[in-house]
Amino acid sequence: MIPIAMRCFMVAAVIGTIFVPPRAWAERDCSVPERFYTSQPPLKKTPQAVAAGRRVVIVVLGGASSMGRAAGSLELAWPARFGSRLAERFPSARAEVVNLAVARQTAKQAAERIERDVLPLKPTLVIWETGTMEAVRGLDVDDFRGTVQAGIDKLRATGAEVVLMNMQFSRAADAMIHFEPYLTALRELSDANDVPLFRRYGMMRHWAETDALDLRAEDGEKRQQVARKLYDCIGRAMADLVTHRQEPAKPADGAR
Amino acid sequence: MPLNRADFTSRRGGALGIYLMTAASRPSAVERDLRLDFFRGLALFCIFIDHLPNNIMAEFTLQSVMFSDAAEVFIMISGYTAGMVYGRILEHRGFVSAGLRIYYRVWQLYVSHVFLFMIYMATVAYTTGAVNNALYAEEFGAASFLDEPGVALVNALLLQFQPLFMDILPLYIVLLGVLPLVLVGFRFSASVMLIASFALWLMVQFDSRFALPTYPGPDSVWRFNPLAWQALFLLGAWFGSRSIHGGVSWGRRGWLFWFALGIALAGFLIRFNWTLHAWYDPIPVAIGGKLLWPLLSKTDLGVLRLLNVLAVALLVAWLIRPQARFLSSAAAWPFLICGRNSLYIFCLGILLSVLGHLVLNEFFGGTVMQVAVSTAGVAIMIAVAALLEWSGAAQDASGGSAVGASTASGGAR
Repeated sequence: MIPIAMRCFMVAAVIGTIFVPPRAWAERDCSVPERFYTSQPPLKKTPQAVAAGRRVVIVVLGGASSMGRAAGSLELAWPARFGSRLAERFPSARAEVVNLAVARQTAKQAAERIERDVLPLKPTLVIWETGTMEAVRGLDVDDFRGTVQAGIDKLRATGAEVVLMNMQFSRAADAMIHFEPYLTALRELSDANDVPLFRRYGMMRHWAETDALDLRAEDGEKRQQVARKLYDCIGRAMADLVTHRQEPAKPADGAR
Repeated sequence: MPLNRADFTSRRGGALGIYLMTAASRPSAVERDLRLDFFRGLALFCIFIDHLPNNIMAEFTLQSVMFSDAAEVFIMISGYTAGMVYGRILEHRGFVSAGLRIYYRVWQLYVSHVFLFMIYMATVAYTTGAVNNALYAEEFGAASFLDEPGVALVNALLLQFQPLFMDILPLYIVLLGVLPLVLVGFRFSASVMLIASFALWLMVQFDSRFALPTYPGPDSVWRFNPLAWQALFLLGAWFGSRSIHGGVSWGRRGWLFWFALGIALAGFLIRFNWTLHAWYDPIPVAIGGKLLWPLLSKTDLGVLRLLNVLAVALLVAWLIRPQARFLSSAAAWPFLICGRNSLYIFCLGILLSVLGHLVLNEFFGGTVMQVAVSTAGVAIMIAVAALLEWSGAAQDASGGSAVGASTASGGAR
């Protein structure tokens, strides 16, 4: 027989370990669990071309969160960080990341730029970050899915590979905006087209949950630090996703 | 379990029992149709659980085994009960009386909508500082209601601002708002009404311009397009109004049963395959993807969603008797009481979704927490429904003034 007090303590201990958020282990590394990659269809052309040192143009079609203002400059935005990570991992790579992000554009507006701005660059890979404006403005989710589908078709017709990226996660925005239908639409698009989906929303949620990043930092200085780290983390995770299962020509230091 | 209301209606002699699509073989029946309460209760639980973010429990709701989800069930049963209750009033007391009752109901729904909007704005006021964080300001600042709360407020009052989960009540309000005309239309020519309703639904399917704009625009639309969803509500209302006179005669044809069974089974196999795929990625998707997207629109009530919910309703009506023993069991009781007090429990569910959202995003905590929050929310819904039942029963027992109120609310609560 275990004394009642002891039993209460045990129950409390169990509940404690389940519910107490691990605040104490702040500032951890922002690596991402395998589950964010395992279900993604791997890219073929891009990682091979990067590893082989062929010239590769990667275009980022996105919104404000791809522009890096919160971190201070375009060089600190995730597309630039992603480019540096690729170069670190594949020293022989000749990959150029072109950031075509424009703030507050809907998928429709971004799709209109494909013909005009994206295709002339002859990209090997197009990373399309989308869905935020649709969720914020409550636009028709069927139209959104149709627009992105047409965009994917157009890009692939030219031989380019495509990666989709979903929205940012924020506790506050999540309490105001209904993201779920648009997140689902992007998942369906990824599934139906065998196009990898960079699950930024899930990853940021994971980083907030594990306290890897303090996304709610209030102090201006601290905010900028968090933004820099966030964009660096996203850039690194994107490099992981794009070069998934692709062995570098020779292992580079500091890749992980 | 209190059944006062059903007893009461039978004593008045004006009301027959409720029979979903059954032949006029049991004209003397006087009991309440417990299936309506049960499945509406089930839908309310599912709506709450589906609204929680990242919730593992949402894999176990209606949407994972059929193309339709709880919203279809809720709207269809609401149409059915409204058609039945107000159809009866229309027959016995005339158009003005039925219209007044319906509009009293619309008013209640409207007040609930405004109440939920206040809660929403309170949440926004509380969290808006966090959105001004540079990481998000540019993106989420595009939500224009932050800059012009006055405009947002007016639009909310006009049902033109439908943030987060405030999309299904406006639909319900609009549908109930046109019900008086629909019921009168049914008396003149039900077939004309139903054909017109179906034609409107069909036009929505083929032309995306048949959508209602909302705030903030441009291109913002009602997430539940009333022009499409009216088809389900009207069909429900028609069956409901027919139930007063024993239901429809063709409801029991054998081929219809097999047809419905085929649809429900196909819906289950295809949809459940997707659920399994979501659980464990290596399980391939047999049928799906782009092919079915146009048929599965939630906004426009795609044809598969409509067919699936109708098929399942027919099967349920066929296979489960209105007074099936299982429906009187203790296990069914929580569903019954929630379904019986659906307006209150629905609003409570939305409120709990918002709170659950905050809790899950504040503390995270993985699967255990998701299950805990889901369970707690459902428990609160049941507890409140039980209180409502108890106070309602107390009022009924005291008689007198409770009489009018209980007929008005009848099955349509």
